Amino acid sequence: MLNRRQFFATLIFAKTGASASILRATPLRAQGYPTEKDVYFDPDIPALGNPKGDVTIAEFFDYQCPYCKRNHPELMKVIESDGRIRLVMKDFPIFGDPSIYAANLVLASAAAGKYAAALEALMNTPARLSRQDVDATLKKVGLDPTELHAAYKKNSRQIDAIIVRNIAQANAFNLQGTPAFVIGRKIYPGYMNEKALKEAVAEARNA
Amino acid sequence: MRLVILSLVFLGIFAAPVTADPLSADEAFQLQVSKIADGGVRFDWTIADGYYLYRARISARSADGSERKVETPQGIAKEDPIFGVTEVYYERATATVPGASNQPIEITYQGCQENGICYVPQTKRIDPLTLAVSSHTDTSANVPSPDAAASAGAPEEPATGFSLAQEEGLVRSLLRKGGPLLVVLSFLGFGMLIAFTPCVFPIYPILAGTLAREGDRLTARRGFFLSAIYVLSFASAFSLLGAFAGWSGQNLQMVLQSPFTTGAVSIVFVLLALAMFGLFELQLPAGWVNWIAARTGRLEISKKSVAVLGFSSAFIVGPCVTAPLAGALLHIAQSGDMLLGAAALFALGIGKGIPLIVVGTMGASILPRAGAWMEYVKAIFGIGFLATAIWISAPLLPAGLDLVLWAALLIGTGTWAFSAARGNSGLPILARTAGLMAVIYGTILIIGAAIGSTDPWQPLATLANSSRSSKNTELQFASIASASELQNELRSASGQKPTLVYFTADWCITCRTIERSILTQDGVKQSLEGLHLVKADLSTLRKESTELMQQLRVAGPPTMIFFDRHAREVAGTRLVGEVTAELLSKSAAMVRSF
Repeated sequence: MLNRRQFFATLIFAKTGASASILRATPLRAQGYPTEKDVYFDPDIPALGNPKGDVTIAEFFDYQCPYCKRNHPELMKVIESDGRIRLVMKDFPIFGDPSIYAANLVLASAAAGKYAAALEALMNTPARLSRQDVDATLKKVGLDPTELHAAYKKNSRQIDAIIVRNIAQANAFNLQGTPAFVIGRKIYPGYMNEKALKEAVAEARNA
Repeated sequence: MRLVILSLVFLGIFAAPVTADPLSADEAFQLQVSKIADGGVRFDWTIADGYYLYRARISARSADGSERKVETPQGIAKEDPIFGVTEVYYERATATVPGASNQPIEITYQGCQENGICYVPQTKRIDPLTLAVSSHTDTSANVPSPDAAASAGAPEEPATGFSLAQEEGLVRSLLRKGGPLLVVLSFLGFGMLIAFTPCVFPIYPILAGTLAREGDRLTARRGFFLSAIYVLSFASAFSLLGAFAGWSGQNLQMVLQSPFTTGAVSIVFVLLALAMFGLFELQLPAGWVNWIAARTGRLEISKKSVAVLGFSSAFIVGPCVTAPLAGALLHIAQSGDMLLGAAALFALGIGKGIPLIVVGTMGASILPRAGAWMEYVKAIFGIGFLATAIWISAPLLPAGLDLVLWAALLIGTGTWAFSAARGNSGLPILARTAGLMAVIYGTILIIGAAIGSTDPWQPLATLANSSRSSKNTELQFASIASASELQNELRSASGQKPTLVYFTADWCITCRTIERSILTQDGVKQSLEGLHLVKADLSTLRKESTELMQQLRVAGPPTMIFFDRHAREVAGTRLVGEVTAELLSKSAAMVRSF
């Protein structure tokens, strides 16, 4: 476990150019298991769906993971039809630099209240992305990638810390990859169809 | 995963008896490491069913951080309606990091579970001397993971010295595109295409002969039923044989093509011919007939004998390997999915039989009703059966003897035509002309046999060749019988020429067609120029040749595999079953361009 976390830390900090000091400054909770509060109520990740919902779905995802993206419309459909689900999208970038870049810009768009629009736009792209693809996609929904990049630069400590926390939680849960859903008190690795999602939500409500 | 869930339960935070857990990355992508000739390292992944690796996500670097070059073979283009094309590997993947180095190599790879999960990139460190594998470790925590210890202790896999193209396989690709239904429908289609190849030829006279014996009882309805029963039992036998062959790991051809079966089948044909000539009435022993009749009652005897005939016909046609048959057999053998394999083979058999049913149904109106004509028709079928018997048994006979048998059959047929066709109207004259020609060709065959010719199509070639020395016209193949011999051949051609490995056998009728009419064409010879030609003769099956077939994933002859000059099979070049000159030239051109 230690090795993989180390690997991710290097991956992220090498590619984003952030200093390793952030890693030390960020409390890594992997030594202990994350609490529900850690996973579902990260103060820096905007909640989607119904923010006041009675059940939270946390999804560990990557903007280039084909099954995350194929799963996304189904997930949104369930959330919409249910009406009482809170959604927390937890960036777990495993497909290299463009994924980290996309995560950074989308998280940076939260400051301007554009998080949901940016996330939706990027989830609706082909699986493979370049930095240029990310920029072009955000432009299409009326966001300025240059501004977002500036916003990320300004808040990079905070945004990098979100991703580091996500990765620490993913490692603590021993997640193998993306997508992985945490619903109620259960972890569901891999693609979840509508039925599975609904069942998981129902189970979480009954617990 | 399970362990974590347990600890979560213990901590009372998150508890998850997760359904359909994806495999761990190390289970999904099992890595084996071996050395290659130049001191570099070769990585072989065995990929679990339903999982794949991305070609573009395989990378390597030295422990000091510098990039290392990774060579990977062409992958399979995985098409996704939403995400477009990515190059991936199913079942197996290979990568080589060439060049000796004292630095440990860190290889990183990434893959997904189909419709499930995409794994985080996996990094392993390989010691270049001991080939010990450890999960990526940094200097502060140099603790090998449990699976690293296991891999390190595992014996090194012997290097095969070649790599195969990552072909998705016929069945698998159909399965992915349209599920089992598409597989079955496609095989039905393949069967209909094959129905018009020499592979299936022998079953036409069998059914036609049976229908002819029906005489004036034969109506279109009856013709349809009889041929449908025939085809159904044929297809059932086919699927059973295929399932058994796949399950047992034995090749269908090998099961069926022992000299013993071939001999028995030719004797059956001779008996069928004699029945046609009216020597005896062909039916099952009375005891069996009564036994069956007592239990089934309603079915008429002829229907049952047609069923038996259909079932046994599969043994005659089965040996003919074709691309779909090979695909189905390999799928059964590799996936153990007998049900789908058998269903595919059943559909293949039905497909092969559909033209037969058409012939059988229409035959009733085409075939002359009754009377003396019927006798002629029977006699012609008898001759057809005898020809089939000679054809099948030819490989078992001493070289040249088949020429004599052909001569005897032709002269006999000619003589009969002369005596039977009376009168001066058109048809009898035509029949006598054909008869005379048969006698003349038969005579030439006898001469050919006498001067040592062995090819019934070129009985006088021996004479021609002696007058016009043509030594260079025949393609020269090096013979191999085992994987180590193949390695030697590939090594001798390494870096210089591509290699063609051609699997053939005496008993493979399609192979004989290829050797006689494809490999002799000038265009084909030109396209094969500059290729190292290797022939694996499977006429007598030994353990080594079976192993060779397994290593190269060959279902049976004829199969042609094209390796580039670095002993890597080029994707999309493999030819199975009947080939055309164009296909052969295309594959040769592709392998040369690498």
